[in-house]
Amino acid sequence: MNVNAPMVGKLVSVDVQLGDAVKKNDPVATIEAMKMFVKIYAPGDGTVKEIKVSPGDVINPETVIMVLE
Amino acid sequence: MRKIYEELAQKKEKIRQMGGEKAVAGQKKSGKWTARERIEYFFDPGTFTEIGPFVKHRITAFGMAEKDVPAEGVVVGYGRVNGRMVMAAAEDYTSMAGTFGEYHGKKFAQAIDMAKEMGIPFVGMNDSGGARLQEGMDTLEAYAWLFRSQNLASGIIPQIALLMGPCLGGQAYHPVMQDFVLQCRKTGFMGIAGPAFVKTQLGIDIDLETLCGVEAHAVKSGCTHLVVEDDRDCLDKTKELLNFLPQNNREKPARLECTDDPNRPVPELDGLVPEHSLMPYDMHDIIHRIVDNGYFFEIMKDFAKNVIIGFARFNGRSTGVVASQPNWMGGVIDCDAADKVARFVRFCDLFNIPLVNIHDTPAFMIGPYEEWKGILRHGAKMLYAYIDATVPKVTLIIRKSFAGAYLGMCCKDTGADLVFAWPEATVTIVGAETAASVIFAKEIKNAENPEEVRAKRIQEYRDLYENPYRAAERGYIDDVIMPHETRKYICGALDLLENKSVARPWRKHSNINL
Repeated sequence: MNVNAPMVGKLVSVDVQLGDAVKKNDPVATIEAMKMFVKIYAPGDGTVKEIKVSPGDVINPETVIMVLE
Repeated sequence: MRKIYEELAQKKEKIRQMGGEKAVAGQKKSGKWTARERIEYFFDPGTFTEIGPFVKHRITAFGMAEKDVPAEGVVVGYGRVNGRMVMAAAEDYTSMAGTFGEYHGKKFAQAIDMAKEMGIPFVGMNDSGGARLQEGMDTLEAYAWLFRSQNLASGIIPQIALLMGPCLGGQAYHPVMQDFVLQCRKTGFMGIAGPAFVKTQLGIDIDLETLCGVEAHAVKSGCTHLVVEDDRDCLDKTKELLNFLPQNNREKPARLECTDDPNRPVPELDGLVPEHSLMPYDMHDIIHRIVDNGYFFEIMKDFAKNVIIGFARFNGRSTGVVASQPNWMGGVIDCDAADKVARFVRFCDLFNIPLVNIHDTPAFMIGPYEEWKGILRHGAKMLYAYIDATVPKVTLIIRKSFAGAYLGMCCKDTGADLVFAWPEATVTIVGAETAASVIFAKEIKNAENPEEVRAKRIQEYRDLYENPYRAAERGYIDDVIMPHETRKYICGALDLLENKSVARPWRKHSNINL
C-alpha cells in the first residue's frame, strides 16, 4: 500500500520508522506547504516496509512517500 | 354494497403485498427493508396517507399488458415527520425491480410538484433497477418530468435523496440534483452507468461497489453528503437533518428551546491554538465547544476534508457552519473544498439559515495541479456564493486568513455582517517572508549581510501586519475578542441579525462560475 501526499510540499520529517506498525489515519510524515505543516496520514493498517523520501525532498501527489505492507 | 367494499379491501391488500412473498423475502435477505417498511418507520405513527396506489402503466408491448406492478413500483404519500408535514416517494424494488417507467415517473414528479405547492420537504427513497426498457420513449420522457419537477422545486422546498438501493444511469441525476444525498453503506449505489455498461463500452472491469459505492461518492466524487450504515440509520439521520431545515423558503427553521447558556464562556479555547503558526490542530475542537450542547451535524466529512461544513445551533437557532480545517492540507482551499463550501452556502441562503464562517486558512491552493484544474473558476464559486447570500453571516477569524482565502471564506466586504477575530489572528495580503523578500529585494541583495537584513525586514512586516489590528483599525474586523468569549459574541450577533433584510435590484441570477 503506497502512502501519498494530498498536495505538493517539502518533506519536513518522516514520523515513523521501518518496521513500525501503523493504523489507518495515523500520522506518518509531515510536509510543509502553504505556510503550514501538513500531516500525512496512513491510508490503511500496515507495517512500514520501505521509506522512499528524505527531509527536504519536494513531494507531489504522485510521489510515493513510503510503502506499507 | 358489501361486495364492493370487500373488493376494495382485496385490491388494497394485494397492493400492500408489493411484489409478493418471494420478492419481499429476497429484498430482506439483501439487508434492505421494503418500501412500505421504510415509509412506516420514517413517518410519525399513523400519519402517513398514500396517494395513487392504483396507478398503472399503459404499456402492452413485450408482455407488459398482463404485467401487474403494484403501485407502479413506487409508494407515494404524505404524513408527519417530527410533527411536520413531509412528502415522500419510496421505490419498491420487489415490484418489477422498482423500474422507472412512464407512470412510475409521473407519480414521482407529481409528488414533488405537490410538495412544492404545499411548501413541504420532499424525501425520495431510491431503490430501482433502472429504466423500464419495455416502455421505450415513454420512460425516457418521464425522466424529464422528474428532473423538471425537482428543478422547479429547488430552492422552494428542501429535497433529500436517500440512496437505499441502486440508482444507475440517467436516473442518478435525480438524487444528485436534490439538496442532500444520503447513501447506505452496503446497499446504496449511484452512477451514470453500472459495471456492465462500462465493460461493454470501455472494456474496463470494475465492480459495482468500487464504481458506484460510498467510497466512490462520499470520498472521491463529492456527490454524497452523508454515509449511513443501513436503512434505519438512513431514516434516523434524515429526520435529524430535517430538524435543521424550514419547511420551505418562506419560513425560517424552527428555533428550539436552548438549554445551553448563550453567554457561556469557553475557557478551554484560550491557548487552544498552537503558538507555532505552522502547527495544525483539529478545528472540530473549536466547533464542538462553541455550538449548543456540543452538537454538530457534519456534512460531507470525507470529501475535501480541508474544509468542514455542517449544521449546528447557536442559542437554539439552526445555523450553517463553514470552517477551515488546519489538520488537513493545512486548511488550504482547493477546487473540491471551494465546491463543497459554495453549494452549502447557497443552500443555507435559500432556506434562511444563517452562516457562521470560521477562518484558519493560508490561501487558495497554488501550483500547476490546482491551477490547471481551475482553482480560479472553482474558488470564484465561494466569492459568488457569499456575496450573493443575504442570510445573516457572522465571521470568526481564528488564526490565518490570507489573501484570496480571506475574501473567499467571507470577510466584511464579501458579505459578512459581523467579523470577530481572536488575538492570534493574522489577517493580511501575504505572509511576511514573501512580502519582505519582494518589497526589500534590492536592499537585501545589496546588503553586506543579506540574511540579517532579510530577517529584520521580515520581522518588521510581521510586527506591522501579521495581527488582527490593522483590519480592526479600518473596521473590517468589528472586534478582537478573547477566544473564551466566542460563543457569546456569535449568539449575540445572530440575535442582532434575526430580522436582517436586504434589498437588491432585480436580475435573473448572478452568473456564478460553474
